[in-house]
Amino acid sequence: MECLKEVIVSPVSATYWGIPGYVIFWVLFAVAFGLFAQRFYLLYRLMRLGKQENRFDRISERIKAMLVEVVPQWCTLKTVTRKDLAGLAHALLFWSFSLFFISYIIFIGLAGGFGLSPLIERTPFETVYFSILDIAALLVTLILIVAAIRRYVIRPPRLEPTAEAGIILVMVFSLMALHVIGVGFDHASRGVHTSWPPLGAALAGFLNQTGLSQTTLEATSRGVWWLHYLVILSFMVYIPHSKHLHILASLVNAFFKPLGQKVVLEPIPLEALEAPEGEATFGASKILDFTWKDLLDLYACAECGRCHIHCPAQLTGKTLSPREVIHHLKEHLLETGPKLLAPQAEPSSESQVDMPAKTMIGDVVTEEEIWACTTCGACQEVCPVNIEHIRKIIDLRRNLVLSQSKMPESAQVMLRNMQQRGHPWAGVQSMRLRGDWTSGLELKILAEGDNAHTLFWVGCTGALVERNVNATLSMTRVLKAAGVEFGVLGESETCCGDPARRAGYEFQFQMMAEQNIEIFKGFNIKEILTACPHCYNTIKHEYPKYGGDFKVVHYTELIADLIRQGKLKLPNELNSRLTYHDPCYLGRYNSVYHEPRRILQAIPNAKLEEMERSRDTGFCCGGGGGLMWIEEQPGTTKISQMRIEDVLKTGVETVVTACPYCLQMFEDAIEHKGVKESLKARDLVEIVDEAMKSS
Amino acid sequence: MHTIVCIKQVLDPEIPPAKFKIDPEGKKVIPPPGVPPVISVFDERAVEAACRLKDKHKGKITVISMGPGKVADVIKHAIAMGADDGFVLQDPAFENLDSFGTAYVLGKAIQKIGGYDLVLCGRYSADWNNGQVGSILAEILGISVVTSACDIEAVDKKLRVKRILKDGYEVLEAPMPSLITVSGEIGLPRLPAGMRLMIASKKQIPVWKAQDIGAEPSALDKANAHLEVTGLSVPARKTECEFVTGNTPGEAADNLALKLVKLM
Repeated sequence: MECLKEVIVSPVSATYWGIPGYVIFWVLFAVAFGLFAQRFYLLYRLMRLGKQENRFDRISERIKAMLVEVVPQWCTLKTVTRKDLAGLAHALLFWSFSLFFISYIIFIGLAGGFGLSPLIERTPFETVYFSILDIAALLVTLILIVAAIRRYVIRPPRLEPTAEAGIILVMVFSLMALHVIGVGFDHASRGVHTSWPPLGAALAGFLNQTGLSQTTLEATSRGVWWLHYLVILSFMVYIPHSKHLHILASLVNAFFKPLGQKVVLEPIPLEALEAPEGEATFGASKILDFTWKDLLDLYACAECGRCHIHCPAQLTGKTLSPREVIHHLKEHLLETGPKLLAPQAEPSSESQVDMPAKTMIGDVVTEEEIWACTTCGACQEVCPVNIEHIRKIIDLRRNLVLSQSKMPESAQVMLRNMQQRGHPWAGVQSMRLRGDWTSGLELKILAEGDNAHTLFWVGCTGALVERNVNATLSMTRVLKAAGVEFGVLGESETCCGDPARRAGYEFQFQMMAEQNIEIFKGFNIKEILTACPHCYNTIKHEYPKYGGDFKVVHYTELIADLIRQGKLKLPNELNSRLTYHDPCYLGRYNSVYHEPRRILQAIPNAKLEEMERSRDTGFCCGGGGGLMWIEEQPGTTKISQMRIEDVLKTGVETVVTACPYCLQMFEDAIEHKGVKESLKARDLVEIVDEAMKSS
Repeated sequence: MHTIVCIKQVLDPEIPPAKFKIDPEGKKVIPPPGVPPVISVFDERAVEAACRLKDKHKGKITVISMGPGKVADVIKHAIAMGADDGFVLQDPAFENLDSFGTAYVLGKAIQKIGGYDLVLCGRYSADWNNGQVGSILAEILGISVVTSACDIEAVDKKLRVKRILKDGYEVLEAPMPSLITVSGEIGLPRLPAGMRLMIASKKQIPVWKAQDIGAEPSALDKANAHLEVTGLSVPARKTECEFVTGNTPGEAADNLALKLVKLM
């Protein structure tokens, strides 16, 4: 036996049909890598066809963000809930497979391909590493079984039982099995008798007992080795052809993800503005109107469907599914790709390229889908691979509104109101006139020549709609009680521009932003206090691009702070069970989750119950993205009603929110559900006002 | 083809009725604070009609508007929709003119602009609802007039106009130039989009005074007005709510239909 060990050589150093194993090894590798690189290069060239966008700033911060997210698998672990443990499974799979990937480099690449086996094989390092891989292989196999059962038997709505998924499951399983079988045959053929690595050693023990001849064992061992190698190479080739492209693309996408602000909308690029009239297209009507980052997003998608099951439009029966939008855009890019690359080969003018028969808006993504989005951000929050769905939807809307003048009538009415009247509320029965709410109050209404440090920016809804004016009045009482000095704009306040921007009417937004910034600067305003989370998000994150850098505070932040400093006392008992609904633009968009809850906890006997969907998984009220005014697309129910169902499940008497849109949507849904007697919708500031009053 | 559109700035008709105030003594409307005036509803449709003709036949659109204050805003709105040029007609002598006086001023301005194939007006204004300026203006300009159009086509140097009637429509042909007043049935005006919004916001709108258009002071003299406002009041609003019921939804619908027939 001892002498045999010396004779046995690595499968690569043997000769097959007169061809040296090394040659076969490297030829196979070259073919596989060539196929991989060819596909990869095609995808890269397609991505580069997208519009320019700078995501190369703050490189070190980006590297750190990427590593922090990917290595500890925070990207998928963040999505783990008691009901959905798939994120945990992914993390285990990722770590296990990373070990396998490293083993391929060391034990197959270096040991086999580079002939370093004497240094690597049969060392304690190998035994330890392979023992760890045994555990990993068991774990991966277990996960694969669960994954297969989930996909093909349980079939949760977020997963499509595609053939692609099946191929990958089989391939990964083969890799696990071939590793263990390989070790088993290797040990058996060499007559090694150890108990480590456990699976391989056990198999070797079994093989030794079968009485297979030494030649058979050796030949099979070599066969298994080459098969293993072939499956690894096929896996590499298959990756960029399947949704498993995400293995590579999501890593890159994590590097290029938006830093800081979560949902970023880019202004319309200057070159579009300078194009001669009639030739300019705005937003995206063709796949290449998106930026390269948008196209990278498409590659990064693993079709995990988390966005699909968190999207309020999808859950209420609309046709929109963020997963399908991304998937269809990806298919469209790959379908039209070769044609799109063709003009580079021949320098013919672009107009001669025959356009793909499919139109992106209509055939790939329907108008119905485009107008169903509330921009609530649930899809982006839950997406493990940092896909930015919302700005794609907005780009599609921009094209419909600015270039094609195609939009639902309700959207047109709203946008006309924005353009002509400076707010979206015209024609509403209970509407007030701007500035009416200030009558009888002793307020500092800013007029020409005035200066103010802090501006209380009321927002259109809080100034114009009867129900919301009540919250605005509470707000002024609270501010006065806490001794906060502030000015208001009264009748000269206009809209911040949010509904225009989310509906794709970018120029109107831009004009409003510029005009408002000029007004703020005119009064020397340093700090802006907002009641509406939409104004808050817009002024805080979107105005700086137009030269408006102000400190922006939402009232929940201010009030929580005033309570903490002891400047605001809330002595009155509430004695009521209530739940807090996180407005999307305050919670998900700006991570203000604690302040509103801290305020409620400061009120004696306010019994706060949490809804199942809250904080970062909070469910939209249905009013964002302009949908406060744009008619909801047909579905099985209204988003606001589904949210009120969530509220009703907690059995509380009051649903509290901190957004005028949510308040409006809830009043409407409560009325519609006929639960007016048992459930009230209140703005948080109204509750604070009551708790503060000295009766 | 060159189209001139006459537009008017009016008090926003979308303000809540309760906020609508008048001065019965001065026989004037008191504009509520913080509500910007807007382009009159039918005039905006006249701009839309002009834009549709321009979309098809190319050419030029000029808008004019007579009125006090920031009337340039409605000109800018029309430019944002697709008009090329605009002029404001503003002079203390133009204030409180009746339909004849208004048509006279518009006529003078149109003659100054000259070289037009079509003049468009709204069928009537959203504030005073007189519906006279269009016809009088055609008379002053000495051209044909078609009122209440819901569709305008330019065919072989002629205008083919669909005109709304009480129970349908008729199709008329008019020579160029003619004056056409446009009705609401032409459809929703376009949303000013793209670059035009920016172009319009930065555009300087020239202001023409009485002497710029050669308006005779005698024609603007209120003593020569043909119309006198003798009283102005806000109609009393009464809301009655009644639930129409029935044993089945079908029966309820029948009952509702019967009620509506009685009201009509």
